[in-house]
Amino acid sequence: MKPQKIWRKGVKNMTRLQSLIGAPLVIGSCLLMMAGCASKSVRSGGDTATLQQDRGVSGQEVPDLSLSGQDGGSLRGLDKNPSEERVGSNALMAKADPGSAARQLDELRAEQAASAAAGLRDVFFAFDSFVITEEGRQALSRNAEWVKSNRGVQLKIEGHCDERGTSAYNLVLGEKRAKAARNYLVELGVPPGQLSVVSYGKERPFCKEHDESCYSQNRRAHMVVKGGR
Amino acid sequence: MWPKTVIIGLCASVGLIWIIESRATDVFLEATRPDFQKIPVGVVGIADAGGPDSPEGRIKLGARIEEVLKADLRRSLVFSLVDVAGLGVKASTLGTEPHPLFKQAAEQGASVIVWGKAGMKSEDKDADVNMEAYVYDAGSDEMVGGKRYVGSPSVARLMAHRFADELVFRYTGEPGIARTKIAYVAEQGVARELFVMDYDGYEPRQVTADGFLNLMPRWSPDRRFLVFTAYRHRNTQTIDMIELATGKRWTLVSLGGLNITPTLSPDGNFLAFASSYEGNSELYRMDTRTKAVQRLTVNAAGDLSPTWSPSGRELAFVSDRSGGPQIFLMSGDGTNVRRLTFEGDYNAAPAWSPRGNWIAYVCRTPRKEYKLCLITPDGQKRVQLTTGPGVDDSPSWSPDGRHLVFNSTVEGKSHIYMINADGKDLERITHIGTHNSAPAWSPAS
Repeated sequence: MKPQKIWRKGVKNMTRLQSLIGAPLVIGSCLLMMAGCASKSVRSGGDTATLQQDRGVSGQEVPDLSLSGQDGGSLRGLDKNPSEERVGSNALMAKADPGSAARQLDELRAEQAASAAAGLRDVFFAFDSFVITEEGRQALSRNAEWVKSNRGVQLKIEGHCDERGTSAYNLVLGEKRAKAARNYLVELGVPPGQLSVVSYGKERPFCKEHDESCYSQNRRAHMVVKGGR
Repeated sequence: MWPKTVIIGLCASVGLIWIIESRATDVFLEATRPDFQKIPVGVVGIADAGGPDSPEGRIKLGARIEEVLKADLRRSLVFSLVDVAGLGVKASTLGTEPHPLFKQAAEQGASVIVWGKAGMKSEDKDADVNMEAYVYDAGSDEMVGGKRYVGSPSVARLMAHRFADELVFRYTGEPGIARTKIAYVAEQGVARELFVMDYDGYEPRQVTADGFLNLMPRWSPDRRFLVFTAYRHRNTQTIDMIELATGKRWTLVSLGGLNITPTLSPDGNFLAFASSYEGNSELYRMDTRTKAVQRLTVNAAGDLSPTWSPSGRELAFVSDRSGGPQIFLMSGDGTNVRRLTFEGDYNAAPAWSPRGNWIAYVCRTPRKEYKLCLITPDGQKRVQLTTGPGVDDSPSWSPDGRHLVFNSTVEGKSHIYMINADGKDLERITHIGTHNSAPAWSPAS
């Protein structure tokens, strides 16, 4: 078959593909409209509107993400008398600005120094677990006394995991560990307003070897005196 | 009733014994074409047409482009490379017309012959690069055609990639994967930043430089944007989007708590993600035009890691509602939830194949290793794709559905690897850095 013919066939296939994608879209939108009353697991229109206005959904104008946009990289087909084709730069890509990296590093060091000075103790966990051990409760009791006697301070509890398992599931596990430590501090009388939690999953390990001595160091709720925002 | 386990030992190029275990080998091979259907192609050569030596190691431009082209054709899994040196034809003697001896190529086992030349327009090191290459079909004794490219020296590899994709397109009608890219996360001191590289691991470019964590990138269907989890000021997570051409950045979701595992639907109209702002991790989807957010899951367990079916009508995701993490399926609006995986007590990080026929995921083996598995969306067939030491994570499919990328600690440090969907041709594609992870393969162009 001639290249030209193949090319036209390709274009025809793409058009067919678009109509194939289009049909489920229409069906999908119809389902969406009915979804509010059809299923209890789906929120009503009123709830989604509240969510959009009050809670953390960006007000910025977001560009159109639907797949109708231009396509600069398409193939033009082999040709018996090829004309010269200019190949553009390998993916136009903006240079990342390293400006904020230095600020982050300064803030990290300040937090580490403040946390060390406060003598805060971390809580360690068993594999795949977010249950606070007796040792963990003792550490948290000491931390609670310190926070209660320093009313202006903000304590950040970071949840960390060892490298086993997926990145995503470890972010969930890390949050469970941080929240377990936070909840125990609240039980001990620490005002919740002085506490915040964040999960780093397995993305900020304290120790990088692939063995249990290292893993046990990484399964922790790390206590940090929060600086900055 | 499982057929008897079949174990095939393969020696990977990294020098490891890589064992592929399959419980349903006959079905398993559906994931790619069997070898006998590959089109045998002979690359006579890309002759060097002059110009200065390359900066890296005095390898001539033609030889460099030829090497890239051959690797692309091999990875396409559409072609198999055949040695045609026996024809006694040198690429440097050829022009735009096929050599009369090419008629005998079939005797060398080649049904397609490729030749060409590449060089620089002048001795100036910034001078334009020229590449031209031609294709002859020995089966039909027909000159198929060719391409003539010009561009800066920085696009020399891209010329080979473009030509490889033209060949794949000519013989399959598919766009090929040689010009696709892989987004990933690379450790930079105390930070983890987003990078994008060519699908073969070359030309890595840094995308973010926040100095803290940016995690789990996913492409927009038009390849212009990445969505990912960012840590603003280290203390809270947001789901951000960055435009690769400009570096312009948007915060799409900042709901408080976890805001993780974002992924755009194949048509770009919905962003599915997990957030714990209402207590525990639940799945949501945002309409990318109206920004209305809809909750998809309601239960006391953690729900995360959504992945769209190619039609955009269904989602696979992870939930620990039945104990350990398992893969579940549901409709795109959150209805019709059913559990997909039952084997093992830890199954996570699902990735739905662009062909729709497989879902790849991380499975914990009886030996407590985290490896890649594949399962059909009807749950009828399941195979373990990788074995051995180390933690495998974050499988992502090539747009042609023939390959997967993932990160693994099989050699110690976490690096990014490519593997065929049938478990063959394991190839490490990152070689520098202290920790590379979370690869995401771009759509084809």
